[in-house]
Amino acid sequence: MSTSSIFRSEQMTLCQLFLQPDAAYSSIAELGELSIVQFRDLNPNVNSFQRKFVNELRRCEEMERKIRFLESEIKKEEIPIVDTNENPDAPKPRELVDLEAMIDKLDYDLKQINTNSDALRKNFNELTELKFNLAMTQGFFQQVDPNGNGMFNDMTEEITDETQRMTSGGMKLGFVSGVISRERMNSFERMLWRVCRGNVFLKSAEIPQLIEDPTTGEKAHKIVFVVFFQGEQLKTRIQKICEGFRANIYPCPENGNERRELTMGLMTRLEDLNVVINQTEDHRQRILIETSRLIRLWKIKLIKIKSIYFTMNMFNNDIARKCFIAECWIPTSYLEQVQLALRKGSEISGNVQVSTILHQITTNEKPPTYHKLNKFTQGFQNLVDAYGVASYREINPMSFVLITFPFLFAVMFGDAGHGLIVTLFALWMVLKEDYLKDKGKNQEVWRIFFGGRYIILLMGIFSIYTGLIYNDVFSKSMNLFGSSWKVKFDDNILLKDGAVTLEPNPRPYSAAEHYVQMYSGNPYPIGLDPVWQISENKITFTNSAKMKFAIIIGIMQMSFGVFLSLGNHLYFKHYYAIFLEFIPQIIFLLSIFGYLIILIFYKWTTYLAEQATDAPSLLIHLINMMLMSYPTDDSKTPKSIVVFYNHQRIIQTILLIVAVICIPWLLIGKPIYIIVQRKKKTNSTELVHQESEASNDIEMHEQNEPHQEVDMSEVWVEQGIHTIEYFLGCISHTASYLRLWALSLAHAQLSEVLWTMVLRIGLSMGGIGLGGVALFMVFTTWSTLTVFILLLMEGLSAFLHALRLHWVEFQSKFYKGEGYPFVPFSFQSILEEAAAEN
Amino acid sequence: MKEDLVFNLDHGYAEGLCRGFRSGILKSTDYHNLVQCETLEDLRLHLQSTDYGNFLSNESNPLTVNVIDDRLREKIVQEFQHLRNISYEPLSTFLDYITYGYMIDNIVLLITGTLHQRAIGDLLPRCHPLGSFEQLGAITVADTPAQLYTAVLVDTPLAPYFIDCISEHDLDELNVEIIRSTLYKAYLEDFYNFCKNLGGVTAEVMCEILAFEADRRAFMITINSFDTGLTQDDRAKLYPTCGHLHPDGLQELRRTDNYEGVRDVASRYPQYKVLFDGSGTNTGDKTIEDRFFEHEVKLNMNAFLRQFHFGIFYAYLKLKEQENRNIIWIAECISQKHRARIDNYIPIF
Repeated sequence: MSTSSIFRSEQMTLCQLFLQPDAAYSSIAELGELSIVQFRDLNPNVNSFQRKFVNELRRCEEMERKIRFLESEIKKEEIPIVDTNENPDAPKPRELVDLEAMIDKLDYDLKQINTNSDALRKNFNELTELKFNLAMTQGFFQQVDPNGNGMFNDMTEEITDETQRMTSGGMKLGFVSGVISRERMNSFERMLWRVCRGNVFLKSAEIPQLIEDPTTGEKAHKIVFVVFFQGEQLKTRIQKICEGFRANIYPCPENGNERRELTMGLMTRLEDLNVVINQTEDHRQRILIETSRLIRLWKIKLIKIKSIYFTMNMFNNDIARKCFIAECWIPTSYLEQVQLALRKGSEISGNVQVSTILHQITTNEKPPTYHKLNKFTQGFQNLVDAYGVASYREINPMSFVLITFPFLFAVMFGDAGHGLIVTLFALWMVLKEDYLKDKGKNQEVWRIFFGGRYIILLMGIFSIYTGLIYNDVFSKSMNLFGSSWKVKFDDNILLKDGAVTLEPNPRPYSAAEHYVQMYSGNPYPIGLDPVWQISENKITFTNSAKMKFAIIIGIMQMSFGVFLSLGNHLYFKHYYAIFLEFIPQIIFLLSIFGYLIILIFYKWTTYLAEQATDAPSLLIHLINMMLMSYPTDDSKTPKSIVVFYNHQRIIQTILLIVAVICIPWLLIGKPIYIIVQRKKKTNSTELVHQESEASNDIEMHEQNEPHQEVDMSEVWVEQGIHTIEYFLGCISHTASYLRLWALSLAHAQLSEVLWTMVLRIGLSMGGIGLGGVALFMVFTTWSTLTVFILLLMEGLSAFLHALRLHWVEFQSKFYKGEGYPFVPFSFQSILEEAAAEN
Repeated sequence: MKEDLVFNLDHGYAEGLCRGFRSGILKSTDYHNLVQCETLEDLRLHLQSTDYGNFLSNESNPLTVNVIDDRLREKIVQEFQHLRNISYEPLSTFLDYITYGYMIDNIVLLITGTLHQRAIGDLLPRCHPLGSFEQLGAITVADTPAQLYTAVLVDTPLAPYFIDCISEHDLDELNVEIIRSTLYKAYLEDFYNFCKNLGGVTAEVMCEILAFEADRRAFMITINSFDTGLTQDDRAKLYPTCGHLHPDGLQELRRTDNYEGVRDVASRYPQYKVLFDGSGTNTGDKTIEDRFFEHEVKLNMNAFLRQFHFGIFYAYLKLKEQENRNIIWIAECISQKHRARIDNYIPIF
């Protein structure tokens, strides 16, 4: 048997790697690039900080921290980070030291520059505040200065008076000036008032622009204030309050000339500072631009190093043999590639004498499930995996779901017009794949659509097909090949009343001598004849047809599922299960529901138009078969419910009995088999032992299972549940497939309602001007509703129902889904994850 | 019942969030791993695998206990403030009430600091951010409680609690402690009544917790006041009256003048008898304070067993604080290489 096939997961081998300590690092690096090896943690009980390479990991983390710092600085300056799409190899351990030194130096330099520029900036900001302080207080004092001009307001007058009085009285009126942030001003003022009992005078003005706060460096609205007071005691209090409210107090000479001098000096200092600040900024900028070129490569390198050491932490350290022992799962078909990579790793490390030894070991453990996939099959595999990851080597339904899923979807979504839109959308995604791949990574909904682009494409194409079969295009039919029906009534009949009946049988009407051929004799080449579009009983007709389709499709898919379980039984060599599970199951399904399908085809093919009234009613016949009651064939009973072929009664009875026999067969078969097996085993344990030694690992696994001695009552209960589930399931699942018809009906009706209730209003408006405008507007509504309700909502609903039919009705027949996925150690996926986190 | 029906309208999101935060509280296995750490680096590495995630990863080496403490506090403050920002009335008032306690602590911290001639600039960063308010920095202006009231506290929510301590005495250390206790008494009683008025499960849960808090304060005031010149009557004024000890137990506590007396009083209350019985003053024994902490943790954990109430917000904050104390304790033990008592943390789950 070939080891890789689309129907089953890859065969896996558990391998032990004996790695030389020198070669381990580069070997793991090679395996990380190869991405096909899943390592097992051999020290699950060891704390993360007690493992061997914890120091290396810590160094990496330290470097990562520094890189994060550099990155945030780069982002602050809005310098773009160069992305060359380069994928550097994991650096050798000794290169790590260089890298570390380089990053350290940059980090140190940048921090130095930052502290310098912070200090400068703080100085600059303080001086700026002082500048504003001087400039604004200048205004206050000027108002005070020109005595007796009568221009100043009451407040200043008061102060002036006071100043005069105080100065004349020999007491000095002191003042404190400073800058405070705007939001603190209110409570600052209030507290001043309270603490000083109203004995202060506060003058303030807002600085017209945002200025940077010296301590925090953030831009803020600030207010310049001057507090006039008298006495030293008040001064200390005011200073305390200022301190408490984080107001910056600046000296302000009382004399106007001194103030001017100070201002002049301030200006020159500010200018000088500006020059220095600009120079440091330039230097900083240069360093950051340099860094921005390399930072992405460093990040990738670090992630690789980190993941290598993380992996090596999972290894056993064999001190006696001086080597690391690793355990890993490798798909058997890749063993050679892994060997090559290991050899290459040893060569890179310069250790050629002793190469890495790869030793395959047999185990009872369940291997992980790994499917070889491509971008087309990936989406479908995701649908299957969402239910459960396949048990190791069991049949993978993906390859069947690939076709049946879009098909069942299309049966429910059948409308060629809608299908076309879906197809075009998916086609756009598929064709523009490379361009769209990196777009909208954070848009979850978009990722879902994009991830399923191939599924959507197939769903669209299949919908066009079923739409043609149903002859539905936006709820209208297309007359592509010319209808097989011709209305050939004469005018007086057509004018008489609303509806006429087209008879398939050629026969005279309204007492005419000759009959008119209305049916051409050949059916419409593909799908539904467009004439049904204008008939009143269209729904009755399509319902009957679609329901039968649904049953046929359902029974076929379910029996196919049961046959797939045969494949599993054969593969795992569960021969008993073929007789005790597969055969009763398939017999039951076919003897009741398979028979029903045969009847459907029989009815379709046998009864011609003239016998239409005599055609058997299959529902009644199925019920009668179950109840084993057959109506007597006399003139009173309608033809449709009496037996319609020879030996029908005896055949149906036999089928029913066979089906009923299957129930106990399935119920007690397997438990009895297990009891017998156990008896045998206790009689000849030695024999079993020998057998298990000779067999290969999978068989050994099977042989070993009974050793775990499941309690017999549990076996009974399990089989009982299994039996009930299957037989009731056959009935309910068959009924469940009727959703194919129900959703298809709903979709068709909804789109028809949309057409008649919305678009027809526009179409029936008269006049080119008014009608055109109205149609334009109505079309907008119609197309929007079509996209949102019919495509998105209905599409989603059909998708979910198709998914359900696969998960529950189809896969329950054979699929266990008890496996766990293969997660190889892969740099690529680790890098992608890291990128997604940012 | 009716309140339960509409609870989620306003507070459902906040409660869900809080319960989510709660599941991030360290489990006993985490502690088990933490105490095995050799260095603070190990501690950081281990905390990374818990709900704390990368909260320390941007700190440069060497890591110090102070840095860990700051980050821990930052994290809890951030969480609490987020809850406060998304809360509706009356939850927001409830959460505000929780912060008043921190305000009292901050005021006392600043006054004591100034008494010891420390610069206000050094003291302010040490204040708990949850109890910070605008006028806090200017607290040094006040020399007497009366000034403190008129200048600083009159605009804060603490003003009504302060009425009882307005006096013209100078602020000294004993005075400050008395102010703290008086404020706390008034605060606890007010908070207790607020919760009681909220009614429902909130009242049941919170009154239980606050009653314990009140009793604990009464016990601790009594024990600490033994040789301090505080008269019995003065002491009695400081006892919060919303606990289980009120009124009989408080009367008796007033009269006691040694530790044995306190123990006698406690032995009449089964829930406190257990605590006092399990504590001792010898080395190796658990102190009564630790026992109180343990009991508090238990009460707070019980709060999470009920639904549709505000108690979990209080309980979460307190549990998280206990957790921070535990981590800091372990970190201190590690950094001082004093591992003998490293197991003296108080496990939460």
